[in-house]
Amino acid sequence: MESTGARCHNRDMRARAVACALFGAVLAMAPPARARGPLTLDDYRHFRALTIDLLGRMPTRDEIARFESPSFDLEAWIDEHARGPAYAERLTRIYMDVLRLEPGPAVQFAPDATTLYRVQLQGPDGKPVLVFHRPRQRRARDATDGEFCLTTEETGLEIDPRQQPRGAPKPVAKAVLDEHTVLVKPWWLYRDYLSLDPKKRYKAGWEPDPEYRLVESLLAEPDGSPTIEVRVCKEEAQTRETGKVYVTDRKPLAKGEAPPHGRRRPLPVDSAYAKQNKGATVSCRTRFAAEASLECGCGVGLEHCLPSDSFNLGSTFYFPNHAPLGEREPLDAARQNTGRTYPLWWAEEARRFFERLWLDDRDFREVLTGRWTVVNGPLAQFYRAIQPGNCCGPEASFGMLEETAPLFAPKAVPAELFPHDARTWTLVPDRGPGAAGVLTMPIYLEKYASDRARGAAVYQALLCKSFVAEAAQLMPSSENDLTKRPGCSTCHATLEPLAAYFARIEQGNLVYLPPDKFPVKNPTCKKNDRGQIPGQCGTFYDPAFATASEGVLRGAYASPAHADGGAAMAARDVVAMPEFAACAVQRITASFLGRPPGPDDQALLRELGDAFVKSGYRMRALVRALVRADVYRRANNLRSDEWRKAAAAIGKEGAR
Amino acid sequence: MSRRALAIAPLVVVAAVQALVVACGPPRVAPVEAASAPVPVHAMPLDDAPKEEPRLVPAEVYLRTYLQLFGGLAPLDVQRRARAADGAQLFDTWDDYFASLGFPDHRLDLPRGQQTNALMVATFERVGVALCDRAVEHDLKGIAFADAPKDPKAPKPPPTKTPIAERVVFAFEAGDPQTVADFAPGFDVLHRTFLGYPARLAETDRTARFFALYGEVKKLHAGKKSRFSPSEAGWASVCHGLVRHPELHLY
Repeated sequence: MESTGARCHNRDMRARAVACALFGAVLAMAPPARARGPLTLDDYRHFRALTIDLLGRMPTRDEIARFESPSFDLEAWIDEHARGPAYAERLTRIYMDVLRLEPGPAVQFAPDATTLYRVQLQGPDGKPVLVFHRPRQRRARDATDGEFCLTTEETGLEIDPRQQPRGAPKPVAKAVLDEHTVLVKPWWLYRDYLSLDPKKRYKAGWEPDPEYRLVESLLAEPDGSPTIEVRVCKEEAQTRETGKVYVTDRKPLAKGEAPPHGRRRPLPVDSAYAKQNKGATVSCRTRFAAEASLECGCGVGLEHCLPSDSFNLGSTFYFPNHAPLGEREPLDAARQNTGRTYPLWWAEEARRFFERLWLDDRDFREVLTGRWTVVNGPLAQFYRAIQPGNCCGPEASFGMLEETAPLFAPKAVPAELFPHDARTWTLVPDRGPGAAGVLTMPIYLEKYASDRARGAAVYQALLCKSFVAEAAQLMPSSENDLTKRPGCSTCHATLEPLAAYFARIEQGNLVYLPPDKFPVKNPTCKKNDRGQIPGQCGTFYDPAFATASEGVLRGAYASPAHADGGAAMAARDVVAMPEFAACAVQRITASFLGRPPGPDDQALLRELGDAFVKSGYRMRALVRALVRADVYRRANNLRSDEWRKAAAAIGKEGAR
Repeated sequence: MSRRALAIAPLVVVAAVQALVVACGPPRVAPVEAASAPVPVHAMPLDDAPKEEPRLVPAEVYLRTYLQLFGGLAPLDVQRRARAADGAQLFDTWDDYFASLGFPDHRLDLPRGQQTNALMVATFERVGVALCDRAVEHDLKGIAFADAPKDPKAPKPPPTKTPIAERVVFAFEAGDPQTVADFAPGFDVLHRTFLGYPARLAETDRTARFFALYGEVKKLHAGKKSRFSPSEAGWASVCHGLVRHPELHLY
């Protein structure tokens, strides 16, 4: 048998060579290699276990036949298969089970600035006409500014993006329709939507990826004919990249005053920032621009907006509810709510990230520290256009009109990915300085929506630690600092500083609050004479910790340094803890043995842990050593006669 | 046999009973003479239960194996094959089985099922029976798999003998074995297919037991109207026994 040290492939680095030797030492705990004699039941069971863990399925008859061949080299077989997709899937399962990185049923992501709703009107000829529009769109016409582009008088309907249209529809005059709406060949229907005359239509000249499956209602007109173009309000169809801040000098409605022009809602009034920056140039990719500029729309082919097939959040795509083997092998296909589109892809990003981590045998610390990720077309569209449209609303009061330090820089998105490229996954080498492995992925930040949940998830999943309250009594207390409050401090003395790492990422959101606009201690948000902080501060600053001289950023009170260091600092700090490597080894070992490691396994865990660290935190070497260890070979391999003996001892019939 | 075939449930029951006996029963200590006790005795009960619990095959592995046995197809294609023209008589949908097979649902924060339960065992049985019965139809009766929706009015193609190389489960000349010796080669193929090792290495006289099962089922089917001939029903029952064998679901 070839020596274990020689089988380690990372010969080029001295540290790895040391690690190889150490892993060799671990393997020494396995029974000595013997000349291949008649195969025993244990041999077959070991091979079956290896196949299950490294190939992701039970062995076929052909594989068993090859295993029985005298020339079969089990060591080489292990080395060959501890690197394939099934191996990556096996390890990914361990961490996905721990982190549960899939969006809960309530998670939706559909910012107004990037969502097109669809409403059905009566056309000039009395036939139904579908028109897309987005909420809060600014328009020059007072009667429709911030609302649907046609008035109730013109359509007979009261149209609100989130409600069933009310009223009796009447034919819209052709001139009115032509004046306020246009026809567009949209991105979701055309592969070549960027060309002047798109021709490659969905399943009519263009065969999309199977995972890019539009709902039927977006493919057909009310009369059943195929949709060739979509009608959209004129402002939404604009393609400029920048616009000017629009100021109307309108006064808010007096109390009891009815909105003009038969509107249901008052006309939009200028924000404080808009008043101060009239005519300033703003990026059309932001929420602020959608609400404060007349020139901003959804871009060429409406590429910066996601369509919904309804007046409310309807559907856009089919997606599986269950795809445990990956999105290419779904167990079903279901119409999903439009707001679920990106959250479902976020989960896939995390899964792909883990798989890439194992397939490339990267340093496991990158699970937290890696600035890289992998994205496909829908995610490229999300990071390029949709997430920027998620900002900025209340942030604008602090002078932030667009994300200045996004967790994923839109410029880092591969330009070659189209929104339809569901199957093409591309490495993004560097998301930006704020990126930190899974910690800054949307799925992590939405799954664990609060600072504390984000901190606790790291603590539990990657340090194998839990918060267990001691026998402390919860007494009434006015202490706001939970690291000090009796009964709470047991857990929160640890949790609050962990949570502080995430204080700059909005809770339940993905927006990063940079220190220059949102200092931890902000005099603007100090308490007034009545003990209150200014209204615009409440979203971001915690009144409980505000003083007469300054407000304190929410979640940052326990460690301003952690808050400023952010998730990237959390990543550095956590991977430097000895528990990080020990936890990884424990999780992998427990999963492969099918049980939690016990006292008898401590020596093995220590050996594996030392070697894992010295190998540069490479998981492949760990797994290779583990599946060769005698404890794996024996794991749960109880002979049925032992069960029979046990059963007989309590007067029962044997199990088999 | 049916009890043996459902042996995974007794495993759980045995373990549970053992645990109860250990936990609730009297402490299992060596008898001690009251008069003279030269050796100090621990008051704690002696726990001699097996410490290593059986490791359940992950649901993903079970599913992949099932897909591979059905011809290496995608889940929805296998679902179509398994349902065939019978609708939900043999097979419902993967969605129906998702939770009971032990898959975690991370959207709902439901953890992975790492121990068997009655519903899981029942699901293994239902799903396994669908595989076996379709395999008998395809491998032994020569009926093509239902891979695409067919015109119900179109004439059915006559069954043609499926070459051994194209068979998914019964990759041997099944025939109607009359002796254990005749039965053993075919059974060994099935045993390797499902349990991963030669039948001769089984710790019990498994080949003889399954041959007895084969004979009993064949006898029950003799002279009765059935979609399977007596020997086909016999082979189907052997397959049923293996797809719900504890060794298939544990590793």
